[in-house]
Amino acid sequence: MSPYLAVRLMAREARGSAARIAFFVACLSVGVAAVVAVSGLSAGIDSAIRAEARPLLGADVAVSAEAPIPEAVSHAVDAIARTRPAAGVVALRELATVVSVPSGSSALVLLKAFGAGYPFYGTLETDPSREPGAPLDPEGMLVAPELASRLHLGIGGELRIGGQPFTVRGLIRKEPDKVNVSFSLGPRVMISIDGLARTDLEGFGSRVERRILIRLADADVARAAEELRAAVPDASGVRVQTYADAQPALREGIRRVGRFLGLVALVSLILGGIGVAQTVRAWLASRLDAIAILKCLGMRPREIVTLYGAETLALGLLGSLVGVAAGTALLAFTPRLLVGLLPALTISPWQPAAAGRGIALGTGIAILFSVPALSAARLVPPLRVLRRDAEPLVPSPLVRAGVALALVLGVFATAYVQARSVAIAGVFVAGMVAATLVLAGAARILTAVVARASAGRVRVVVRHGLAALARPGAGTLPALTALGLGVLVVVAIALVQRGLGERLHADLPEDAPNVFLVDLKAAQWPEVKSILESAGATSVNSVPIVGARLASVDGVAAGELAKHAKDRGRGRWIFTREQNLTSLATLPKDNVVIQGSLWSDPRPEISIERDFAHDMGAKIGSTIVFDVQGVPIELVVTSLRTVEWRSFGINFFLVVEPGVLDDAPQLRVAAARVPPGAEQALQDRLAAATPNVTMLRVREIVEKVAAVLERLGLGIRLLGGFAMAAGAVILAGAIGATARLRGREVSILKTLGTTRRGVVGMFAIEFALIGLVAGVIGTAAGTLLAWGVLTRAMDLEWAWHPAVLAIAPPATALLAIAAGITASAGALRKRPIEVLRGE
Amino acid sequence: MLGPSGSGKSTLLGLIAGLDRPTSGEVLIDGVPIQDMSEDALALLRRRSIGFVFQSFLLLGNLTAFENVLLPLELAGTDDGRARAQALLATVGLAERAHHYPSQLSGGEQQRVALARAFGPRPRILLADEPTGNLDRVTGQVVLDMLDALRREDGTTLVLVTHDTEVASRADRRIHLRDGRIDRDETRAHESVV
Repeated sequence: MSPYLAVRLMAREARGSAARIAFFVACLSVGVAAVVAVSGLSAGIDSAIRAEARPLLGADVAVSAEAPIPEAVSHAVDAIARTRPAAGVVALRELATVVSVPSGSSALVLLKAFGAGYPFYGTLETDPSREPGAPLDPEGMLVAPELASRLHLGIGGELRIGGQPFTVRGLIRKEPDKVNVSFSLGPRVMISIDGLARTDLEGFGSRVERRILIRLADADVARAAEELRAAVPDASGVRVQTYADAQPALREGIRRVGRFLGLVALVSLILGGIGVAQTVRAWLASRLDAIAILKCLGMRPREIVTLYGAETLALGLLGSLVGVAAGTALLAFTPRLLVGLLPALTISPWQPAAAGRGIALGTGIAILFSVPALSAARLVPPLRVLRRDAEPLVPSPLVRAGVALALVLGVFATAYVQARSVAIAGVFVAGMVAATLVLAGAARILTAVVARASAGRVRVVVRHGLAALARPGAGTLPALTALGLGVLVVVAIALVQRGLGERLHADLPEDAPNVFLVDLKAAQWPEVKSILESAGATSVNSVPIVGARLASVDGVAAGELAKHAKDRGRGRWIFTREQNLTSLATLPKDNVVIQGSLWSDPRPEISIERDFAHDMGAKIGSTIVFDVQGVPIELVVTSLRTVEWRSFGINFFLVVEPGVLDDAPQLRVAAARVPPGAEQALQDRLAAATPNVTMLRVREIVEKVAAVLERLGLGIRLLGGFAMAAGAVILAGAIGATARLRGREVSILKTLGTTRRGVVGMFAIEFALIGLVAGVIGTAAGTLLAWGVLTRAMDLEWAWHPAVLAIAPPATALLAIAAGITASAGALRKRPIEVLRGE
Repeated sequence: MLGPSGSGKSTLLGLIAGLDRPTSGEVLIDGVPIQDMSEDALALLRRRSIGFVFQSFLLLGNLTAFENVLLPLELAGTDDGRARAQALLATVGLAERAHHYPSQLSGGEQQRVALARAFGPRPRILLADEPTGNLDRVTGQVVLDMLDALRREDGTTLVLVTHDTEVASRADRRIHLRDGRIDRDETRAHESVV
């Protein structure tokens, strides 16, 4: 068969199938739109970040560290500045601190100090506007508008920062290198580096992020970065980034979210696949005679499969293209949902790679899910031309197993494309298969039960509706499964989100501290303690902390260990970041020693949290050396602990035997429970008396996290809606496929004297039952999934949500009625005579 | 072929066309056994050598009359398929209705399209399963005349199944089937003498 002939045959085959094509396209395009929107958004953000890489970094190369930048690195920076005439260097500092107005009210802010020349790229927009790169005077500051309005500050207004007075010179409209917008401890205040030097905020032990921005000629960037990296001592925690790296951590985070959402989108696409499978089966069933005739006329079985396979491919392509168009249209709106979650970026809705992915996955799923029906088309006996009752042969068990395997492998492949992880794709496929089996099994049992129940004495309308559910060839089983899967996804998402939100909004334990004080000098503790007590604080607690850097574990240097550490999680930073050590005679009650015993050895001892010890590679008896301000301290591990972090108490991974750290320079942290409403007054008093102390409010931080989660949840719910839509389309399609049967039924019912309203009632009951069954099973399975995610994966407590459970099944029933009645509109309009004459 | 319902007429046709496989014995076409051929080989055999006409016409509903006639010509890769299809439709008197769909044609017209389709690739064997069974007497006569004329022109072997003794009387050889066996096999003597 020539390709030209094949195309002509396909074109003829498509005739008079507008409804079928529309349904096929609708099924597929919903899922493709979801996939394209997710992938396009993720790719769009990624390319926007890369396009804005220089302004987001504020430089060509940036050096950053949480500790003072080592001299070797500073020298390397100086050398670069000296040898390259075009180079520019500017210092940045960033820290959280509490500021206050002279009248006493205070606020936690994120302070940024910058030198002349900042920013090298992008513009710092202020009101009134400033000369780009102009230095800020040591007494001046720029403040975020929200802080200005909260503290009633205008231009010329005054704030005390670290105990020193600063004057407002302008309001910050846009900060080019503000990357982490979704979660920051407080509004922005900017001062100059010289201004910071007027305070003692950069003193010993304070949590300051130090950054050096370097501007270079383009060709120099890579080499300069190499020189700087070579100068960075092992395990010093100093990072060298170039604009070409383009915010690797942010982009990796977006990619991860994108992969997760990509899987949620894939669920809609796979539901679409169920619809496709159903359409192709119905289509080929209506073509049994045609296939037999074609075989009689000498068409070979493989040509038949090629013909219908190519037709499926063409429809798959069409559905995917429609999906790409819808997904791209959706992309034009989604950036609005991201305001406040990401830096302000211009995201292009046209993402060719995402469109390509949508087309590939869409056509792939279409072909994949039509394989069972196509493989059966091979087996249509040509003898059917002589004997109408010659049914398609039943494929051998081997062939059926092969087809099932191909389906599972195909879904696995699509999941892998979306998640880029064999393990996640495996779990996804296993979950889909399990959910489908449970839903299909439950649907089968329920229809059987319903069929039996319908024989009982119920009203004729109800009885007829019930019987219709169980009628052979109704196509309701796959529709029910698909709709149920949609409900499952939506319910699981709703419950997980609610569970998380509840946990975040839940009241803290009765005696849990609700404020933490950090950057507290040891000598300030008595004064701070009396302020806390006079403010009515309870559960006041404070421990000393000593900043230390891990030097070696069992004789292996930390630099060496860092090289082999995992890139993810805390794998590497254990070895490179400064750790906080504390000294305690007895452990807090939320700590449980699970191995060894506390302070039981004549040598200096350390007690380590179990998981932290595992990541460090330390065991009972290991020797650990810490570098405390240049002094090595050798400790032996004598106990491992578990910690109940959710108690919100002060807890440490690393606890050292009392006495060992007495000579080391110490800071303190304190925690207390302050009566509701007294937090602001306490912060105001601390800001006046001890301006270097930063007070963190647990409630405020938790609320910020909850707000970010809420925004992310919105996106996930939107995708869940796609799954639901796919389920409804499939139900409508299943009902549409039986339109002829239904038309005949309607005619007979009308002939026998049933009113139009009566017929609509019968149909509504049938669809409502489908929706109800899908809703109940989907809700149950979704609840189970959410329970698993919350209690097993997230280790949270389970709470029932009767509202979700009560609303989901009837809502599904209503959706099913709407979809079903719409799909049967044609059948309901049929006049009896039309059908009876046609017989 | 004559015989009451269930005597095995359709089964025999199916076996000749390779649509069905015998449980025992052989089917020879031009001396070649076909019962062990693959589905593909049988399809190619039908494409090249065998034509069909059915009682219920069995036209493809989504193809026009012209396209129905054209299809086997296309499958066989005939160069002048379109012209021949047009000519065949003219022969059966349906040149004017070439672009109508089967549902827009009467039963007799549909059967004439089926005849044109069957003769298109000039099959050496034409199998007709009660071709006049669904037609009124006059139309049936027209269809039979055409079958006869087309047979004479192309020298095709016509195997025709019928209930109707009058139809059967036009055949050179009449095979009577009963309960799956040949009951009588009559050959028209005067023609075989000539």
